[in-house]
Amino acid sequence: MGPLASTTRLHLLEATLNRIHTQSALGRRNFLRGTLAAAVLIPTASVLAGCAGGGTTPGGTASGAVTAGNPFGVASGSTVDAVIFKGGYDVKYVEFAAEILAKGEAKATAKVSPSTDITGELQPRFAGGTPPDLIDNSGAKKIGMTTIVDQLEDLQGVVDAKNLEGKVIKDTLYPGVLTPGTYGGKLASINYVLTVFAVWYSASLFKELGLTPPKTWDEMLKLGEDAKAQGKYLFTWGTEAATYYQEFALASAIKEGGDDVRLAIENLKPDAWSHPAIQDVFTALETCVKNGYFKPGGSGTKFTAAQASWSNAQEALLYPSGSWIENEMKDQTKAGFEMTGMPVPHKSSSPKLGADAIHSASDEPFVVPSAAKNPAGGKELLRTMLSQEAAANFAKTILAPTIVKGTVPADGFGSTALVSQTKMLDAAADNVFDIRFGNVYGLNKDQLVTWNSFLDGKIDAAGLTADLQKISDKVANDKSITKIEIK
Amino acid sequence: MTAVPPVQTVPDGGLAAARRRRRKPTFDRISFFAVFLGLPLAVYLLFVIWPFIQAVYISLTAWNGFSNAMPFIGLENYVTLFQDENFLRAMLNSSILGLVLPLITIVLALSLASVVTLGGPSRGQVRGLHGSGFYRVVSFFPYVIPAIVVGIMWGMIFDPNAGLFNAFLNAVGVPIGQFPWLGDARTALGTSMFIITWGFVGFYMVLFIAAIKGIPAELFEAARVDGAGRMRILVQITIPLIRDNIQTAYVYMGIIALDAFVYMSALYLSPGGPENSTLVMSQELYYTAFGGTGKFGLATAMGVVLSLITLAFAGMVFGVNKITGGSAQDERL
Repeated sequence: MGPLASTTRLHLLEATLNRIHTQSALGRRNFLRGTLAAAVLIPTASVLAGCAGGGTTPGGTASGAVTAGNPFGVASGSTVDAVIFKGGYDVKYVEFAAEILAKGEAKATAKVSPSTDITGELQPRFAGGTPPDLIDNSGAKKIGMTTIVDQLEDLQGVVDAKNLEGKVIKDTLYPGVLTPGTYGGKLASINYVLTVFAVWYSASLFKELGLTPPKTWDEMLKLGEDAKAQGKYLFTWGTEAATYYQEFALASAIKEGGDDVRLAIENLKPDAWSHPAIQDVFTALETCVKNGYFKPGGSGTKFTAAQASWSNAQEALLYPSGSWIENEMKDQTKAGFEMTGMPVPHKSSSPKLGADAIHSASDEPFVVPSAAKNPAGGKELLRTMLSQEAAANFAKTILAPTIVKGTVPADGFGSTALVSQTKMLDAAADNVFDIRFGNVYGLNKDQLVTWNSFLDGKIDAAGLTADLQKISDKVANDKSITKIEIK
Repeated sequence: MTAVPPVQTVPDGGLAAARRRRRKPTFDRISFFAVFLGLPLAVYLLFVIWPFIQAVYISLTAWNGFSNAMPFIGLENYVTLFQDENFLRAMLNSSILGLVLPLITIVLALSLASVVTLGGPSRGQVRGLHGSGFYRVVSFFPYVIPAIVVGIMWGMIFDPNAGLFNAFLNAVGVPIGQFPWLGDARTALGTSMFIITWGFVGFYMVLFIAAIKGIPAELFEAARVDGAGRMRILVQITIPLIRDNIQTAYVYMGIIALDAFVYMSALYLSPGGPENSTLVMSQELYYTAFGGTGKFGLATAMGVVLSLITLAFAGMVFGVNKITGGSAQDERL
């Protein structure tokens, strides 16, 4: 370039610089404020990430022939995309099933991707119309079932099919385990793991202190007094698990009052929390709080620390929880702590559902999205998991039963907790119920607040009742939330 | 802000020259504009303005986040928001954080910065306290620790049974017992503010130290010769000369305070803390979207409200600075 060109360039630069300098301060400041706004909006923008997706592509690729060994017609050699929640159960049990699947008739390869943030990972894929073929929708960040239930396959076909050993799957399951996955008549999820809710204690410690596990609330309150005399607390709680006591209270009230109590609570009926059976339990709990049977400070304590004060330091005698507790506290349980579960206490001598009734539910919901590429493959992997072989592997490695019957031997692989679980299930027979409303409508966050206040002694039973009713009413009156009728 | 300002007359070229150049677009000019104007503008529009427009639109729908259906419902989400007890509570908490946190953090940081740079002996050269470098490193240290770690660490320190804090108080004879600092509605928000301040004071202190070091030392020396004490120097020399830095710091700290998501999530394992006394807007937004009911439309409306509040906050800081006699043209933010 000649000298002229470079002069021109210089002029241009000068003009630009001049412009920058003389531009009104206001305009620049506005621009900078805009940049500031951008910084503010980044969190908002990330919420939007999901809507960048496109339209829904209808699911289903080329399918294979339907045969007895391939009941859903999985295309030969196809890939199954499975996103599995990686929590206390890990994902090895699904990989185990995937190995069996690879040797099966369809020769399908399953790609098992572990995830701890199901919603965060899959929300964009759902919105974009490319969900995986099989999802274990579990963990703290699971997707609210009501938001995706109409985008899921009906899994009735899976339980109607025969398992790998040739038995019809639904005949191999514990009673009632399919109810939690049923939404308005559609089997939207198959919940794989069986959880028993109970009050857990150390049989060895009770023996040592000469105490008897309480069956009724009267015995419970008396035990509280005895525990105090021995310098121990009856209960302990952690801040993010304060609602375990809601499960505990509701299970006790439902045992006493039967389906009247359960259905009113589950279907968010007005004044449901004022039912006498619930009020009796709340009053008893209030007494426990007032008399100092609860280890104080729970609302500022992490739940694992609180649980360790029961299982390791043995400061508290009892802890209400699901049967995952044994696995969860494995590393923080005192040697010789014979962890044992018992049904929640009841008020009268003749509770409606019987003294052996328990709250038990299947959890770890596996779902197959309709828009998936290979939904047949997702179902086939699920069918494989429900085989005797895969279910027995789960029970043996995780020390927890699946919904498939007869996979836990009498010695419970040496676990007292597992033995007591099987005992409770056998004793309860058909008197098994579930409590679902909290999960269905995502109420835990709000309920935690009031339960922490109650267990802390900040509010009484009346205050607790009012708060919980308000939380239920809020959902009941919100037309934008799809209600599921729970039976 | 995207309007093209009128072409200025360049001193020696004149308007005509500018016009003539415009007619002949050279590769130089085009590439210059493409790289320095077009590209940033495109990135800005795509990643900032467009999501914002989308956010405003989504906030007017009942989108559930998982489907393609986005039913338009007008301002209903906003009506719901301002009747929602939790959201109003979150807005109150966030506002308290936004008002208190920047104030205490900046005042503390400024005092420390001043002591470290100007608080030294009153004879000889103006300098900081003996060993000021050490204090600088020590107080900057918390800023290096990620927010989530700060939250977890202080959560343990304030643990009612096994925490250092209660153990210390009990040991020195304050009968605090097992008081749950983070589990009591009366102390939770205050304790959280202390923790967040702890994390940021060092950073702003270093920022102010740099600003103070930028002031010519003669000014301080002259003031001292005239008999000004340390307090007077701070109020009448230092602060007026670094007020633009203070304003910037104030806005940044305000944005951090209005967000506070990571701290509150790490400190309060049951979201919202005791009696929702530490529930902040960003948390309420998160749980509305991802809490199970899939109310993405409502959550987005919260995001829009949060950004408006943040903008209002920034505007307020600018306004106060202007009214109290700050420079009319701020060039720093």
